[in-house]
Amino acid sequence: MHRTVPSLPLAPSVKVKLINAGFQVASDLIDMRPLQLCKEVGISQQEAVEVLQMLRDDGQPHQQRAATESLTALDLLHQEQALGSIVTFCSALDDALGGGLPVGKTTEICGAPGVGKTQLCMQLAVDVQIPVCFGGLGGKALYIDTEGSFLVQRVADMAEAAVQHCTLLAEDTEQRQALEELTVEKILSNIFLVRCHDYVELLAEVYLLPDFLSEHPEVRLVVIDSIAFPFRHDFEDLSQRTRLLNGLAQQLIQLATQHSVAVVLTNQMTTRVSNGQSKLVPALGESWGHAATQRLILHWEGLRRLASLYKSPSQMEATIQYQITVQGFRDAPDEPRPTPATSAVSSPSGNHSKHPRMEDRS
Amino acid sequence: MVILREGICPGVNEEFIKALQSEDIKTVEDFVSCNPEELAQKCSLSYKALVAVRRVLLAQYTAFPVSGADLYEELLSSTAILSTGNPSLDKLLDSGLYTGEITELAGSPGSGKTQVCFSVAVNISHQLKQTVFYIDTKGGMCANRLLQMLQSKTPNMEEQMEALQKIKVLRVFDVFSLLACLQNLRSNGLQKASVGGGSVKALMVDSVSAVLSSMLGGKQNEGMSLLMQVAGELKMIAKDFNIAVLVTNHVTKDGNGHLKAGLGQSWSHGPRTRVLLQRIEGAGTSSLRTATLTKSSRQACHLVEGFDLCHWSEERRTSISGKRKLEERSKP
Repeated sequence: MHRTVPSLPLAPSVKVKLINAGFQVASDLIDMRPLQLCKEVGISQQEAVEVLQMLRDDGQPHQQRAATESLTALDLLHQEQALGSIVTFCSALDDALGGGLPVGKTTEICGAPGVGKTQLCMQLAVDVQIPVCFGGLGGKALYIDTEGSFLVQRVADMAEAAVQHCTLLAEDTEQRQALEELTVEKILSNIFLVRCHDYVELLAEVYLLPDFLSEHPEVRLVVIDSIAFPFRHDFEDLSQRTRLLNGLAQQLIQLATQHSVAVVLTNQMTTRVSNGQSKLVPALGESWGHAATQRLILHWEGLRRLASLYKSPSQMEATIQYQITVQGFRDAPDEPRPTPATSAVSSPSGNHSKHPRMEDRS
Repeated sequence: MVILREGICPGVNEEFIKALQSEDIKTVEDFVSCNPEELAQKCSLSYKALVAVRRVLLAQYTAFPVSGADLYEELLSSTAILSTGNPSLDKLLDSGLYTGEITELAGSPGSGKTQVCFSVAVNISHQLKQTVFYIDTKGGMCANRLLQMLQSKTPNMEEQMEALQKIKVLRVFDVFSLLACLQNLRSNGLQKASVGGGSVKALMVDSVSAVLSSMLGGKQNEGMSLLMQVAGELKMIAKDFNIAVLVTNHVTKDGNGHLKAGLGQSWSHGPRTRVLLQRIEGAGTSSLRTATLTKSSRQACHLVEGFDLCHWSEERRTSISGKRKLEERSKP
């Protein structure tokens, strides 16, 4: 064992006592009995037991392998090709993202209110369930709602549209068989919904996620809508907020990698004033910008909705247009001004919409 | 610090150790720093035995002094300079990444740090045919992108696969795993990799601030210790194995609103060379970036070079200075 004592994941007070007693390397400690350690170092019996337990776990073959095992980029390439991505049903966005939302990475979706972040998240929760024979992932989704904007009726409409879309595409028997099982009820039952009311609940939920994902290995998508809301209200200590968010980001990317899920986070926008000009930028601060692997910014340009890929390790930056229809998140029509006949833009459940829809204007 | 244990050298038995412990002497350091005469008076041990043990321990555990001339010879023969593949960046770094040193890239999100790391890794594995270790802490490693870059360099599939095999990826997501990983590399990982054929010449950590920034600040008292341990490990790896270490860092704003690299003053002593990457204002979504040298022991600071992320090996005839030059480049 070549770990030095200061680098072990133990409480700082215990480490200080260990170092004062002269222990510098983990291999010094490994042959000690708890009582012996207790006397020599001056820590309580329970702490001594914890220390030795931690060292023993560390020495386990699978833990060691995790720290030492290196994949070659070639192995990683095969892995990535096997993981796949989640389509968004907007072909322009899928192309910009390189096939869809990548599994195994965290994606952040930022946008002003009403631009379509929650719509996109709900669409993804439906799209992740498209059967493998249709080119989807056939997985389940976990939706963590912090704002209360998850509407089951809307998801049901999107699910129905998705089923119809697949029905039109079905060509061979395998696809038709899969289609028989794909019903709106099934789709809704495969979305696990969690409602978090403040940041403590959110942190607790993320802490419990590894166990949840181990119990449900078919989950391929985790959506947190939104991650900004609980952290923007009643938070006095901003540096603590940054630390919590950074820790959260690392936990999420660890989940994404170890359990092969796509993690989607929704963020809000804030105004930055500089040189007498104001600009809309993603909220939660500068350092949060480093947290997600990919960043998608949704914004308005007049009446058009645009999505910009702002940060990605594998794709070039691009801006594409999309629209929200009854069926969900879709490509924008080719005509410059959509007429009421061709675009079916409406809020189906008749609830209050955050931004006037195109029909109202024309 | 080595603990005094039985059998550490002839003459050190249990009674010896017990007698020393009663005088609060637990480690070799404590023992050799004590005066043997005084010690012989305080404990019931013979002066002769103490002096004998002291001599053996000193011989075993002291470091050897090395003359400056020898050190210089060693440095000349063992340091290598790894080209990054991009002429502008090479110019900025005084012809490339030096082995035995840490080079840091800082930049805001989307400024291209990960892309630069990829380009350098691809250049080292394909052009220079050396093994690269890539520690990814943010999930930004995308083998598809590496393949894309290789495909633009050579159409030969075998060469591409060979180059991909020379890039070894380790994924760790918190600081303790990072330390475990680095310590493991130092003790046997790097040797194993070099035995397999092809020496390891570069280690990249992307990014080091992702794992450290949540540990610094507030009421936490461990953050600085962990930061210095990471810096120490990286330096030891760079020096002992003659490896060029490239790390990425985030940026924060200083009092005047200017960008500066994150992680504070203590970390800033770790890397020998620091580069700040920025997008070009007003260029929209282009792949042009500027690199500013913020710390260097070889070149004047605040040198700026511009380069294009998309055309890595091309030379930019002029450095960034005004829109006219940009327009010239876009002419067919």
